[in-house]
Amino acid sequence: MQAEIADKKEAQVGRWPGTVVARLTARGAARSGVIWGSIFAIAIASSAISYSGIYKTLAQRDALAVAYGSNHATSALLGPAWQLQTVAGFTVFKVSMALMILGAVWGLLTSTRLLRGEEENGRWDLLLAGQTTRRRATAQALGGLAAGVFTLWAVASLVTVLSGLDSKVKIAAGPALYFSTAMVATAVMFLAVGAFCGQLSTSRRQAAGLGSVILGASYALRMVADSSAGLAWLRWATPLGWVEELQPLTRPRPFALVPIVALVIVFALGTLYLAGRRDLGAGTLSDRSNVLTIRQLPTTPLGLAAYLSRSVLLAWAASIFAYGLLLGGIAKSGGKIITSSPSLRSAFARLGVSGADAYLSVALLIMAVALSFVALGQVNAARREESSGQLENLLVRPFSRAVWLVERIALAVAALVLGGLLAGVATWLGAISDHASVKFSSLLSAGLNVSFPALLLFGVGVLVLAVAPRMVSIITYTLFVWFFLVEILGSVVNMNHWILDLSAFHQMAASPAAPIAWTANAVMVAIALVSVGFGVELFRHRDLRGE
Amino acid sequence: MSTTSLAYTSGNKAAASQWAVETHGLTKRFGENVAVNGVELLVPRGCAFGYLGPNGAGKTTTIRLLLGLIQPSEGHGEIFGLDCQRHPIEAHRRLAFVAGEANLWPSLTGAETLHLLGRVQGQVDKAYREELIARFDLDPTKKVRAYSKGNRQKLILIGALMARPDLLVLDEPTSGLDPLMEQAFRHSIHEARERGQTVFLSSHIMSEVEALCDRVGILREGRLVEMGTLAQMRHLSALTVEATFSEGSVPDLSGVPGVSSVQVDGRLVRCQVRGSVEPLLKALVAAGVTELLSREPSLEELFLAQYGVHGKSPDTSHDAS
Repeated sequence: MQAEIADKKEAQVGRWPGTVVARLTARGAARSGVIWGSIFAIAIASSAISYSGIYKTLAQRDALAVAYGSNHATSALLGPAWQLQTVAGFTVFKVSMALMILGAVWGLLTSTRLLRGEEENGRWDLLLAGQTTRRRATAQALGGLAAGVFTLWAVASLVTVLSGLDSKVKIAAGPALYFSTAMVATAVMFLAVGAFCGQLSTSRRQAAGLGSVILGASYALRMVADSSAGLAWLRWATPLGWVEELQPLTRPRPFALVPIVALVIVFALGTLYLAGRRDLGAGTLSDRSNVLTIRQLPTTPLGLAAYLSRSVLLAWAASIFAYGLLLGGIAKSGGKIITSSPSLRSAFARLGVSGADAYLSVALLIMAVALSFVALGQVNAARREESSGQLENLLVRPFSRAVWLVERIALAVAALVLGGLLAGVATWLGAISDHASVKFSSLLSAGLNVSFPALLLFGVGVLVLAVAPRMVSIITYTLFVWFFLVEILGSVVNMNHWILDLSAFHQMAASPAAPIAWTANAVMVAIALVSVGFGVELFRHRDLRGE
Repeated sequence: MSTTSLAYTSGNKAAASQWAVETHGLTKRFGENVAVNGVELLVPRGCAFGYLGPNGAGKTTTIRLLLGLIQPSEGHGEIFGLDCQRHPIEAHRRLAFVAGEANLWPSLTGAETLHLLGRVQGQVDKAYREELIARFDLDPTKKVRAYSKGNRQKLILIGALMARPDLLVLDEPTSGLDPLMEQAFRHSIHEARERGQTVFLSSHIMSEVEALCDRVGILREGRLVEMGTLAQMRHLSALTVEATFSEGSVPDLSGVPGVSSVQVDGRLVRCQVRGSVEPLLKALVAAGVTELLSREPSLEELFLAQYGVHGKSPDTSHDAS
């Protein structure tokens, strides 16, 4: 039997020996493409189908359009709101920004994992020993990534088209396909960006960091473009703006596909060019971190963890600070619109907040999402240290496993709490530069408030690390997506409160508009502490496991 | 029991134990697969112990159990009388480990790596570290990322040797080293032995084990099938005899008591003899032997005798012995 299986495998490999890299990459990308495509599909379908149930009358829909249609503050957060009186316009406004960001993150993580990550693990050494070259193998890998994003698009498109058939939705197949294509566009672009960054960097971590900086800059530029009608032209300067300019389901402008396709082609060609020029395992950028002073030498495992995480954590800190300044800088106009518009007040009341601080509370929710990514990064970095075998170098010496994990936890908790406080301070600085009347203490505590969902996510991640180490990535990211989708969709779909209560973002109070829910925060911390406690104890007694 | 009394008890046991490594019924199962099966090891202090077996025999799993990186399904192991699972920190204070594959932090330089490992180990002979860096011809200013496989291996070897631990646990330590560095490694192990350090060397390079070790254990499919000094194992094994005869007088030796594996090549007869050599000598003299050569089996021959030339089971008489 085994011999038969071996023969079959041999026959399969033998049939298309020149496409091994493409097929391996496609397998890895398609697997996650199906999962993320399903997430896209759920978000689009639930938003489209729920619209007519929530906004039943024309008057309600007009009020919604008036509230959001010309509000630059919400445009800066969620993108421009066009034709909110229609199912199509509402769906685009509700889900597009979230899906654009999720798609970009998926693209970045997938391409850096399957290109630079595989190279880092030494598996490309084996592949390149076959009848191929670095450039050909990279071209195949890009083909595999394309197959992966095709599965994402196919799943999302199928559900979008089927949702369009619903009598309350009524979106034709053509526009539905155009919409799903637009939603997948950032995934395609950032697959290419990730592949290119992988050629520049010397490690997967560095490549992902570089790609994140590009994504952060694109998002910040788009925010500026959407914050004022006079700056709308700036959308053409950012990949996220190009996707907005596609204007699916409202005023389709397919020519905005030109820069998108051009970016993909340029980055793909750049990837191929650099792949052929550089040495395997090396990067194109000079490794500036080579120069270290004695003072910077990591002398303890905690110092090592801090040293290895420093570039990623500093990049996040800089992004959070810049984003806080930007958000705070348009707080006053956002607050004024909310205060002067009864319909807008009512719309924000639906989200559970009111008053001039409502805008900042929604803005800080995005900070909570950003900090959650920091939490996910920390727990996955701990897992990578174990799976790569690096941790063994420490644990075969007189150094306890529990101490290693507790130090890792301490580092992550410090990063998450300081990150939250930094978000509060940056938002306050932005707000006072706009002459908005916000208290430093209230924004500082609102900043701290956004740390709690991230702490919960990290705590649960530690437990998963102890119980099912090989599942850390998939479980923690799934949990995050669950929290995120429930929070995004819960406000428009009449979700059961049990489901809503299962989202950490929903449990977090909309501070500074609403008082901080210390009880809910205490529950989140308690769950995190219990998870961490069990996690540390179980980790002490389990086998170390590789990939 | 209080922490102090526990430490006192474990400390006393450690001082009293004559064994550097000791396992009793050590077993590790991964699902249905039994990787290590009831291994009973006794490695005296100051000894160099060669742990032999082909790929997949369970050598690395045994070592990971001894290091407390994985938990045994049954049985237990001790390092200097300290239970590997219950007192890993105390046990690790006495040992240093070299893996066959150096998975280090690519962004650190060699010097930074040694500095970090020394700090975590808690003891470093700095002068010896510098001597080892020179002996292994390592450039410590380079990043680990820029090192070849052999240089990364040198780095973890130096990281282990510089601590001057009581026990060196080495798992295929010379993987990727060139012959010159292999010599430097052997020199370092001889030095360690002269200082009274114990060496636990897992390898399938027979010449290396033969040159460095005085005791050997052979592992087969997770079971320890042979353990003892090389002299004991040779004594229990067959002696290889080559006899040359004058033209036309080649005898049939297959019926001689104790003789096996008879091969005839013209006037040359090659065979193996187990037990008393007297019947064979009588037969050879009677047939008019002109030249006679005999030698003890090499470690490779002992190993192959355990596994058979094609990996099949050895003959039952040998197993019984």
